[in-house]
Amino acid sequence: MNTTIKNRVGDQTTSFSTDSRRGFLRGMFVSVAAASVLAPIKLKADDAAILEEAEWGVKLGYPTNKHPYGIPSPYEHNNVRRVTELLSSGDMYASVAMSPLHEQEGIITPNGLFFNRSHGGTAVVDPDKYRLMIHGLVEKPLVLTLAQLKRYPSESRIHFIECPANGSTGWRGPQFNNLQFMKGMMSSAEWTGVKLSVVLADLGLKPKAKWMLAEGSDNSEMGRTIPIEKVLDDAMLVWGQNGEALRPDQGYPVRLLVPGWEGNLNVKWLKRLEFGEEPWHAKEETSKYTMLQPSGKGIRFFWPMEVNSIITSPCPEKPWTDLKKGDMVEIQGLAWSGQGTIKAVDLSLDGGKNWQEISLKGLILPKSWTRFSYMMKWEGKPLLLSSRAIDDAGNVQPTINQEVAKVGVESVYHRNSICTWEVKANGEVNNVHVRG
Amino acid sequence: MFMSEVKIPVIGTLLALSIAVSSAMAGDKIQKNVDGALIYPIKNNSYQGYAVNPQKTNGFNHGRAPTTAEIKAWDIDVMPDGTGLPEGKGSVEQGDELYTAQCAMCHGDFGMGGKGYPTLSGGEGTLKNQLVNPEAGDEPPSRTIGSYWPYASTLYWYVQSAMPFPNPKSLTNDETYALVAYMLSINEIQIDGEDLDDDYVLDRAKFLKIKMPNEDGFYPEVNGDVGSKEMSKYLNNADNFGQGTRCMKDCGDTPIVKIAYELNDFHPTPSTAKGLPKEKEGEEISEAQKIYEATCSACHANAAIGAPVVGDKEAWDTLLKEKGIEEIYKNGIDGINAMPPKGGNMDLSDEKTKIVIDYMIQAK
Ligand code: HEC
Ligand code: HEC
Repeated sequence: MNTTIKNRVGDQTTSFSTDSRRGFLRGMFVSVAAASVLAPIKLKADDAAILEEAEWGVKLGYPTNKHPYGIPSPYEHNNVRRVTELLSSGDMYASVAMSPLHEQEGIITPNGLFFNRSHGGTAVVDPDKYRLMIHGLVEKPLVLTLAQLKRYPSESRIHFIECPANGSTGWRGPQFNNLQFMKGMMSSAEWTGVKLSVVLADLGLKPKAKWMLAEGSDNSEMGRTIPIEKVLDDAMLVWGQNGEALRPDQGYPVRLLVPGWEGNLNVKWLKRLEFGEEPWHAKEETSKYTMLQPSGKGIRFFWPMEVNSIITSPCPEKPWTDLKKGDMVEIQGLAWSGQGTIKAVDLSLDGGKNWQEISLKGLILPKSWTRFSYMMKWEGKPLLLSSRAIDDAGNVQPTINQEVAKVGVESVYHRNSICTWEVKANGEVNNVHVRG
Repeated sequence: MFMSEVKIPVIGTLLALSIAVSSAMAGDKIQKNVDGALIYPIKNNSYQGYAVNPQKTNGFNHGRAPTTAEIKAWDIDVMPDGTGLPEGKGSVEQGDELYTAQCAMCHGDFGMGGKGYPTLSGGEGTLKNQLVNPEAGDEPPSRTIGSYWPYASTLYWYVQSAMPFPNPKSLTNDETYALVAYMLSINEIQIDGEDLDDDYVLDRAKFLKIKMPNEDGFYPEVNGDVGSKEMSKYLNNADNFGQGTRCMKDCGDTPIVKIAYELNDFHPTPSTAKGLPKEKEGEEISEAQKIYEATCSACHANAAIGAPVVGDKEAWDTLLKEKGIEEIYKNGIDGINAMPPKGGNMDLSDEKTKIVIDYMIQAK
C-alpha cells in the first residue's frame, strides 16, 4: 500500500511504500520539525500541532463496534470521582465518592461521575427479581414488578441531589483546598419516573396516613420517614437517569426522588413504602442526619437543602495561572435551592464588602442547579471571589457568621454559607473563609 | 395536608425577601409546603417550563396485593412505641459473647471505637461541646447510642437489619435482644431503675420500658398529633437556621481565615492533567510473581547456581517426572542441598511457597 504523508513545513510530498516504515519515518519528521524550531525566526511561532499531521489523522480510528457502550476519551482519565478516608465510616463501603464538579459543564452530571454515598456498598439488584411493596395505611396495598411500575405514566425532571453533609468539613474553618472535596457531595441529573401522587391516587391513602417510610433493599436497608405533604407534592419513583437506567450507585433499578431534599432521603434500591401515623425514627434520622445545636439539643427532620452557590471556575483545581493581564475571563458557577427556584445570584470581588447582581445562564428550573456567569478583565490583582444565591421562596444565602450564630459548629449537616476563593496575583486559587 | 399560605405583602415586609419574590410572583398567592419550599401549580399544562400531559392519570390496575406472609417478611421495622418488635430474649452476657465474636473487631472493645468505625458507647454530657478551637482544648461532642440516640427501637431495628456489617440480617431475635442488652449495658443505661448486669435478660416487655437518656434531646416535635406542623413552622422561617441579608455596598470588614490544617488524603490523587498515564508497571503481576522476583529469582533465573531455571520447561518437567509435585513442594519448603528452606524467606507460609512453586513451574 502506498501512503502519502504531507510535510506542510516544506510543502513537499513524500511517498513511502509501506505502512510499516511509517512509524520510523514519522520519527524523522519529528526531529526535522524539532530542528527547524531552533532555526531562524520564520518558524519560531509555528505550532507543530498544526504543521505536522496529527497522529489520529493519518490512520483509521477505532471501529464503530469497538465500544458497544461508549466511554470517555482516555485523555479524560483524571475526570473521576475521588474518596478520602476522612469521610468514611471505617471503610469504602460506608463512604462517599465525591463528584469532580470542577470538570462539569452545564447542569447535568454524567452518570459515571455522579457522587455516590452508600451505607453498605452499592447493591447490584437483579431487575427480574425486583419487587416494590406499598402497604400500611393505603386502601389497596400493592406489589409491583419493575415492568409493572414502568407502565405508569412517566415524567422527566432535572433535579440536583445533594448530601446534607456537603461542605461539612468547613464548620470550623477551611480544610480542603479543592472544589471536589468541598462541594462534591452533589450532582444533578434528568430523572425519569412516575409521580408518587399518581400511584397513590390509584391506591387510595387512608385519611390517617401522615408519614411514609421508604426503605432500601441493600445491605444497610436504609430507611427514612417522609411527610405526606412532600409525597403528594413532587416526590417520584424514578428508574431513569439521564436517558438510561439508573446506575447501581444511584439505586438501580428504582430509587425514591424527593426533589430538593437531603440526598439521604432519596432512598436507593427502593424496596418498600409503608404509610403510617407516626414517624419511624430510623437510624439515619436519629443517630445521623440530625443537627446538634450549641444548646445540646438536636434538630431532626431537617428535610430541604437550603439555598446555596459555589463558583466552579476559577477554583483551586482550575486556577487562572495561564491568564495574562488584560485577558477577558468568565467567572461561573452553580446556584441551587431545595426550597424553590434560583432567582438571583450576587457576586463579590472583595470577599463580601461589595456585591453586584450578575447574570444567570441556561435553564432556570425548580430545585435544580442553575448556572451563573460574569465576564471580567483579569488585571493580575488579588481577588476574593464570593457568590451569594437568592431563591424565589425568599431565602438568601447566609454569611458564615450569620449561619454559625444560629446553629454553632457541630451541626455536621446543612452548611450553606457563602464560599470564598482567594485568587492570588499569580492566578492561584485557594479556599478561604471570610469571618467578617 | 398542612401547608402554609403566605401572601406577598407579608413576605414583602422583609427587605431581603421582597427583591427575591416580587417579580414573578407579583399578585399571586404563593403556597409553601412543610419544608418552606414553594409549591408550583401546573398552569396551562406546564410545570415551571416542563410541558405536562393533561390527560387523566388514574384508573390503573397494575400489580397485585401482597400476601400476609410477604408483608411479614419485609415489614420488620420497629417503631418507638414497640410496633414491629418481635418476641424474644437474650442476656447481657450472651450479648457480650456475640459482640466479642462479631462486632468488636470494628467497633472496639466495649463499643469504644478507635478502629475508624462508629463508637457505640460513652459521650454522656458532651452534647453541648462545640469544637471551635482544638488548640484551646475544645473537645467535640460524642454522639453515641448512650449519649445521643433517642429510641432503643432504632437500635433493635438497625442491628437486626444492617449488622454485622459484612453479614447483615443474620441475627436471630434472641441474639438481637442479647446484643441490644449488651450495648445498653456498656452505656450504663438502666431499665426501670435496674442496672443491666451480666445476667440481666432483656425481653419484649422489658424493652418497652426502656427510656433512652436523650429521648427529649431533639426538636421540633414530630410525634403524635403534632405531625409535621412544628417542623413546617421551623423550616418556613430561615431565621431559625441562618438567613442571609442582601446587602450590596459597604457590608463590613472581611477578615480572612486561611487553611490551617489542610486535609489532603485523596484517592486517586487529584490532577487535571490530560496526558495519558504511563502503562502501570507491575499491575498485572501476581503475588506469586512478586514473591518469586523478591525471593527466588536471585538463584532461579540463573543457571549458574544449579537451581532449575524458571522458564526452562524441560528442567522442571524432568524434575516432575522424577520426583512428583509433592516431593518438589517438600524440597522447596524444607530446602535441599544449596536450596535454602523457602528460599530463605521464613515469613512465607507453606501454602504461599507452594503457590510460588506452581508459578515457577508454569512460568514461560
Ligand atoms: C466490618 C466492620 C463492622 C462489624 C463487624 C460490625 N459493624 Fe456495626 N457498623 C459498621 C459501620 C461501617 C457502620 C456505619 C454504617 C453507616 O455509615 O451507615 C456501623 C454502624 C453500627 C451502628 C450504628 C452506630 C451509630 O452510632 O450510628 C451500630 C449500633 C452497630 N454498627 C452495631 C453493630 C453490632 C451489634 C455488630 C455485631 C453484631 C456490628 N455492628 C458489627 C461496621 C461494622
Ligand atoms: C540461594 C539460592 C536459592 C534461592 C534464593 C532459592 N532457591 Fe530454590 N533452589 C536452589 C538450588 C541451588 C536448587 C537446586 C537444589 C538441588 O537440586 O540440589 C533449588 C531447587 C528448588 C526447587 C526444586 C526442588 C527439587 O525438588 O528439586 C524448588 C521447588 C525451589 N528451589 C523453590 C524455590 C523457591 C519457591 C524459592 C523462593 C521462595 C527459592 N527456591 C529460592 C537455590 C535457591
